[in-house]
Formats: sequence, C-alpha cells, structure tokens
Amino acid sequence: MRARIGRTLRITNERVGRAVLVFMAIGFAALIVAGAAAVNMVSRNQAHVDAVTHTYAVGNLLAEFQAYSERAETARRGFLLDSQSDYLRTMSTALNALPTRTQALIELTSDNPAQQRRARQLADLSGQHGTLLRRTVALVARGDRDEAVLAFRDRDEGLPLIAAIRRISADMAAVEDQLLAEREAGQRSSVANFFIIVSVAGALLVIMAMASLLLMRRYGRDLNRSRDELALLNRGLESAVAERTADLQRANDEIQRFAYIVSHDLRSPLVNVMGFTAELEAATKPLAELVDRVEAEAPAMLTEDAANAAREDLPEAAGFIRSSTQKMDRLINAILQLSREGRRVLSPEPVDLVSLLDGIRDTLAHRTDELDGEIRIVEPMPQLVHDRLALEQILANLIENAIKYRSPERPPLVTISARKERGRVIVDVADNGRGIEAKDHQRIFDLFRRSGAQTEPGEGIGLAHVRALAYRMGGTIECASEFGRGSTFSLSLPATSQGEKGEAR
Amino acid sequence: MSEVQSVNIIMIEDDEGHARLIEKNIRRAGISNGITHFLDGTRALDYLFTAPHGPALNGPALILLDLNLPDMSGTDILGKIKAEDSPIKRTPVVVLTTTDDTREIQRCYDLGCNVYITKPVNYESFADAIRQLGLFLSVIQVPETEADA
Repeated sequence: MRARIGRTLRITNERVGRAVLVFMAIGFAALIVAGAAAVNMVSRNQAHVDAVTHTYAVGNLLAEFQAYSERAETARRGFLLDSQSDYLRTMSTALNALPTRTQALIELTSDNPAQQRRARQLADLSGQHGTLLRRTVALVARGDRDEAVLAFRDRDEGLPLIAAIRRISADMAAVEDQLLAEREAGQRSSVANFFIIVSVAGALLVIMAMASLLLMRRYGRDLNRSRDELALLNRGLESAVAERTADLQRANDEIQRFAYIVSHDLRSPLVNVMGFTAELEAATKPLAELVDRVEAEAPAMLTEDAANAAREDLPEAAGFIRSSTQKMDRLINAILQLSREGRRVLSPEPVDLVSLLDGIRDTLAHRTDELDGEIRIVEPMPQLVHDRLALEQILANLIENAIKYRSPERPPLVTISARKERGRVIVDVADNGRGIEAKDHQRIFDLFRRSGAQTEPGEGIGLAHVRALAYRMGGTIECASEFGRGSTFSLSLPATSQGEKGEAR
Repeated sequence: MSEVQSVNIIMIEDDEGHARLIEKNIRRAGISNGITHFLDGTRALDYLFTAPHGPALNGPALILLDLNLPDMSGTDILGKIKAEDSPIKRTPVVVLTTTDDTREIQRCYDLGCNVYITKPVNYESFADAIRQLGLFLSVIQVPETEADA
C-alpha cells in the first residue's frame, strides 16, 4: 500500500519535473528569440544609420561638387571679363577641389554600380570641363583675350558640359533619396517585426510562468493529499501492527498455557505410575522372601519361572519403569521451566560483564580446580544494558557446557572475550573441549537434542534455553566448532536492550 | 463429652490412584483417623457445609485438597472454606497438587491454605511428604484435645 503511493508520487514527481523543465525551456527559448531579435534590430538600426549617413554624404559631396563646378565656371567668366588674378585663383582652387570630390563619390558609391557609373561620368565630365577652363585661361594669359571671348561666346563647349553635370548630379541625388526612402520603409517594418517578436516572447514567458505556477500548486496539493493519505495509512499500519502483536501475544500465551497444562496434567499420571511402581517393588520384597523360604523348606514346590519372576523379572521391570518415569519427569520439568522462563519479565540494567563472569568463575572454581582447568576472562569488556539474570543464565550455561564437554586428553581451558561491533556486543565463549560435529551445529540448540557421545548426564535443555533467552533479548547465538579441537559459542546482543522480542508479561 | 473426638480427614481428589497412594502412605505413617474421599468438588462442598457428619455441623476435620478437579478449581473450594463467614474457616487445609508453580502456591497461601505439598513423582519424597503430613496430623490433634478438655 505504502509502496504503491510512493510509486505514484514518484511518477507525479517525475512528470511535474519534466513539465516544469519543458515550460522553462520554452520560456528560455522565447527569451533567446527576443534577445536575438533585439540584437538583429540593433544591427539593422546601425545599418540604417549607416545608410542614412551614406546618403547624406553622397548628397553633400554632390552639392560640394556642383558648387565647385559652378564656382570654377563663374570664375572663368569673370576672368574673361577683366583678367583679374583673383578669378584665376578662385578657379584653380575650385578645379583642384573637384577631383577629390569625384574620387570620394566613386568610392562612396562602390556598393551601387549604377551610381558609380554616374560618378565616373561626373568625374569624366568634370575633367573635360576643367580642361576647357584651363584652355580659356591659357588663351587669355597668352594675350588672346578676344580669341578666348570669341570662343566662349560662339562655340562654348562648357554649357552642355555644365548641363550634363547638373543632370547627372540631380539623377544621383534622386536615386540616393529613393534608396533612403526604401531603407526607411524597411526599417519601419523591421521595427514592427521586432515589436511583434518581443510581445510574442513576452506573452509566452508569462504563459509559461503561469503554467509552471499552476502546475506547482497542483503538485503541492497532490503532495499534501498523498501525505495525508500516508499519515492515514500509517495510522492503519500502526493499528495493524498492534493487532498482529496482540495476535502473537495471544498465540504465545496459548503456548505458555499449553506448556503449563501439559506439564501439569502429564505429571498427574506419572505420580501414579511412580507411586504404584514403588508399591510393586515393596510387594516384590515379601514375594522374594517367600520364594527364598519355599526354596529352603520345600524346593519341590518352587518352579524356576516363579523364582525368576520374583527375583529378577519383577525388580528389573520395576527398575525400568522407575528410570523411564524419572526421565519423563525431568523432561516435563524442563518444559515447565522453559515456559516459566518465557513468562519472566526481563528488566534491563547496566551490567558489568567482567564482574558477572567473575561471579560465574567463582561458582565453578571447585570444578575447575578439580580438573586442573582454567576459565580465562579477557579484559576489558564493553558495557551492556540487559537483564542481568538472563545474561548470567546464558553465560553460565555456555561456560558450564564448555567444562562439561571437555576433551579427556587435556585440562579444560575456557576463554571468554567480548567486543563491540556497530552497536552490538559479541561475547565469545571459546573452549578446547571435544568439539561438535558440523552437522550438529544447529541441532544442539533444539530442545532435547544433544550431540556426540552421551557420556554426560543431561536432557538437552540448556542450549535451547540459551537460544530462547538470546532471542528474547534481541540477540542471536551461534556455534563454531572443530570436532576434537574445541568450540566457540558467540552470543551477539544489542549493546542496549531494545525491549522484549515477543511477549512481555 | 468424655469421648475424644477424632479428626476426620476429608480428601478431595479426583485421581483415584493418587487417593489410594495418599491413603496407603497415611496409614503407613501410623495414622488411623477416618478418611472420607470425594472425587469432585460439588459433592465435597455439599458434605463440608451441609452433611450432618460434615465438619460444619460435627467435629473437627482436616481437608486434603487437590487443585485440579473436574467440576471446579481447587482454589474456589479453598476460597469457600476460608471465607470470612464460613463455619469451617478454621479447619486446616492441606493443598496437595502436582503443580509447583510459585504463583499458584502464593495464591493458595493468600487464600488461607495451611500447608502446600507438591506431589512428587519420586516415590520416596512422596512418602516423605505424606509422613510429614502424618506428623502434622498428630500435631493438630493437640488443640482439638484442648478444645475438648
């Protein structure tokens, strides 16, 4: 349930992220287009300004050119009239200025072949005109003033030249004006285009921003809703867990009750079996005595079967019944014991492992001295917060086992060490005993199961008890052993008790 | 009343084998008091409180009580015997049962049980327990004699 919500949320998350990204991309693209349009606009503007400047430059040059042409002509006429050198100077200044103007015109109009051609024509005409003027001046200087005047009056070639110059100049100016007008129209339309582009980009930006905002708001609402759902689910989960815990509790209680009833009700018939077996044994005694007496006084009456029955069969049968019953009683007591241990409430407290182990060593000192053995406690040991009694039961059990199942070839040596690993404390109880075959490493923790040669008394309860306790304390117990060399039992517990695993009553 | 009234032993025990074993051992311990045996709680209560020969109306008694009975719990019977308004609340009660559960034992003592004996499977200790019971029985005969005197 939780996983499904998580998934849908993630999908929404991805989708929203992608949508926002798309919106932002579109917005940025619009911005870029607007920027490009602006750059384009600026460069166009620049070009337009250049063009206007160009047109005005051409117009200016044309005007200057015309003015100098006219001035040269006027000076020539003045000189013809009264030969003053002032006129001559004016004319030659004007004539000298003309070629630079025509040259500038030719250069300026290099982008427009038609205009350039006109400029060249102007230069050409202006050259002819200059030659004509200089000839007139030369005539006058030689003293042929009349000749010169005559030539001017009758067959002046200057007039058509001047006329041509005026016409071509006017044409050039007109063409430049027209070009300017065209460029202005272009400029106006590009400005209009620019405004359109910028407004479209702006509108796009606004739309994308609004779409993103809307999307984020919807996403936020979804998020809130799913969070609420999750909280609701969580509450459901908690109650489900509580329910399951209650179920487990009930099941566990049931098992405890079962163990109790079983042990109680099984003992009841055992009391009878045992009691009447004792009665039988008691009854056998007078019977055996009778057999003895009969044998002594009237051997003929005694059959071999009767003698065997009274002397051997009956006591043997009673003995087997007795030993089996006692074993059964021990097993039942063990179950009862486990069931009781299971009901004991664990109360965690700070435990000093070293002093706890010292205590166990002292309890076993008599036994270890007898066997010339040793219990070695490797210090220092980490601190623990656990139920002291449970810890003591586990460790005492392991150490007692280590001594009980020693190797007959060497005195027992039990080494206990402890270390802390990522919030857990691991206590190793290592011995040099007879070891456990690999196939039995798990089995030994099962109730009533034992391993190896059955040379020592026991019911196979200790390790089952140890494991049950370790589980209840939130820990585990493992066995590593090499047959014939020794065993190591590792108890792993949380450094601080995490509360009970399973029931607490 | 010159005649010494002997203590009547009332045994409430559903297991006939147990009852027989208890009786045998009581006799072996040299106690010859009369034993009245009940197999269930209902009839036992009836006898205790209403029978003309029962302890409520007639003479001193000792009750041997098993806790596991088919029709009711032994602790219920114990509670009734030891209740404040019970006419037989001073009658000693020996609880004999297979359970050695500490809480059960405490509960019985809380209810007013005088002795709690766990029926052991080991016959020797069982016989011991019964013999001790016999001693106990001889002891409680003393106040009876005093009361009689």
